Amino acid sequence: MSRKKTPKSKGASVPAASALAAANGPRLACPRTAHPGPDAPPNGPPQANRPSLGGGSDLYDVAFKVMLVGDSGVGKTCLLVRFKDGAFLAGTFISTVGIDFRNKVLDVDGVKVKLQIWDTAGQERFRSVTHAYYRDAHALLLLYDVTSKSSFDNIQAWLTEIQEYAQHNAVLMLLGNKVDSAHEHVVKREDGEKLAKEYGLPFMETSAKTGLNVDLAFTAIAKELKQRSMKVPSEPRFRLHDYVKREGQGNSCCRP
Amino acid sequence: SPERAQESRVRVPRVDPYGFERPEDFDYAAYEEFFSAYLVILTRRAIKWSKLLKGGGRVQKSMTVKRYVRKGVPLEHRARVWMALSGAQAQMDQNPGYYHRLLQEERDPSLDNAIRTDLNRTFPDNVNFRKTANPCLQKALYNVLSAYGQHNEGVGYCQGMNFIVGYLILITKNEEESFWLLDALVGRILPDYYSPAMLGLKTDQEVLGELVTMKLPAVGALLDQHGVPWTLLVSRWFICLFVDVLPVETVLRVWDCLFNEGSKIIFRVALTLIKQHQAFILEATSTADICEKFKQITKGHLVMDCHTLMQNIFSEPGSLSMTTVNKLRESCRARLLVQ
Repeated sequence: MSRKKTPKSKGASVPAASALAAANGPRLACPRTAHPGPDAPPNGPPQANRPSLGGGSDLYDVAFKVMLVGDSGVGKTCLLVRFKDGAFLAGTFISTVGIDFRNKVLDVDGVKVKLQIWDTAGQERFRSVTHAYYRDAHALLLLYDVTSKSSFDNIQAWLTEIQEYAQHNAVLMLLGNKVDSAHEHVVKREDGEKLAKEYGLPFMETSAKTGLNVDLAFTAIAKELKQRSMKVPSEPRFRLHDYVKREGQGNSCCRP
Repeated sequence: SPERAQESRVRVPRVDPYGFERPEDFDYAAYEEFFSAYLVILTRRAIKWSKLLKGGGRVQKSMTVKRYVRKGVPLEHRARVWMALSGAQAQMDQNPGYYHRLLQEERDPSLDNAIRTDLNRTFPDNVNFRKTANPCLQKALYNVLSAYGQHNEGVGYCQGMNFIVGYLILITKNEEESFWLLDALVGRILPDYYSPAMLGLKTDQEVLGELVTMKLPAVGALLDQHGVPWTLLVSRWFICLFVDVLPVETVLRVWDCLFNEGSKIIFRVALTLIKQHQAFILEATSTADICEKFKQITKGHLVMDCHTLMQNIFSEPGSLSMTTVNKLRESCRARLLVQ
């Protein structure tokens, strides 16, 4: 399970492990090591293996950093809370100022994958504060709001930002959020698909409110990252694009 | 004991005096214990301030006022004292009708959109900001923010200002006064935190880093060792002026001094929080750990006891002259501009 053995199985999109900066390398923990979690009380001794409030466990085999980016108000925090806690409480969120993160441990084919998910302020002026963190991200979820044309139009600018500051091998996914909304969907699914195809990105429409494709998006990322970092030769190769296309609800391939 | 906690829960209202619902994990027993002691202080301060303000003259900066402000401005006088000491009152008097003229101006659509995006996302936990509240303070929030965006085009609207204006409205209950107080903060007291380049913010975060390295070298070394940038830990402290970081009452006590003494108060609060939890912070073994610890140190009894904290900020960090702060600002800004 050495990182050095990670094969270049995906052409240019998968790096040799040695290319990863130390700060960017997947942090391989000793198997099932209990980590003093971030939930340790102030001034108290760190409590090993204390379940986090969201129901996740601090036990993990491998950890990755995922960033949520996109315009202000597209639903980054809601998507994260839906994934972390399975909840959507309308009108309980405050605008994210600066940068924040939450952890969640997923079981991916018997491997505990910890995603450290970074939530960022969407307002343009905060980009100069947040893009410094792109370089450490193993994956980025780029969101727009299907009821907001401007949030979709800005995706190009976000991609430019990502290309400039993120690792070239970071996993990227495009998400059109708020498909539950009763407001007019000014960005059609086809528009999202077309843009995603143009840039070679996996794409899904999501709803933090109903939960549509939310777990799937994070699971797909976790599967891809896990596969890249701990390649098991006997295991069939995970194909992110195919997985997302096959599993995504409401994707065009699944419609009659 | 659980019984005592339960009794406190019954006695302490679920909504605080400012309209904020207390969080699920609110420690009612600890709060009640703190508040019964604080009530004595509040009463004494109220009597002192009433005497000071007797006659209704304008509050002016003086050593006495500074000492009084550091011990807390009573809620009933807060708006008046903030207005006077920050210079907001003078600006408002010199520009009669200005705020209302701004409200009539045509709005820039992108400014308008940015502000509207945050209206529902400003204090959903405050009953006065609910759409169902009457009056609903969202309207006042919108007016003040959009007037300010028109007034200061170089800044426009920056996320974080919504929380600051929200507090100003809760305290002054007056849009025009909130506008001029925001102008005092953004235009004079804080050095360029909110303009698009956010250079003043980035500078002050670096300045805090330098101060920590000078005064608390072990913490500075820990951050260096893990390569943790200060912005990751404290950007909300600076941008929101501790709103939604520290308890409401504590934030208001910090702002009492901020309006009177200026932006170095932010450094004093930050340094005190870090110093008081130094041993706890030094237990951190990773970047994520450090981030989490910096969140934890803004919670708990030490920050709830606003009176003691406000005494500590003037002793714990040691001397902090404006000359030192300005020198550090100069060198940090120069370094940032090169990058």
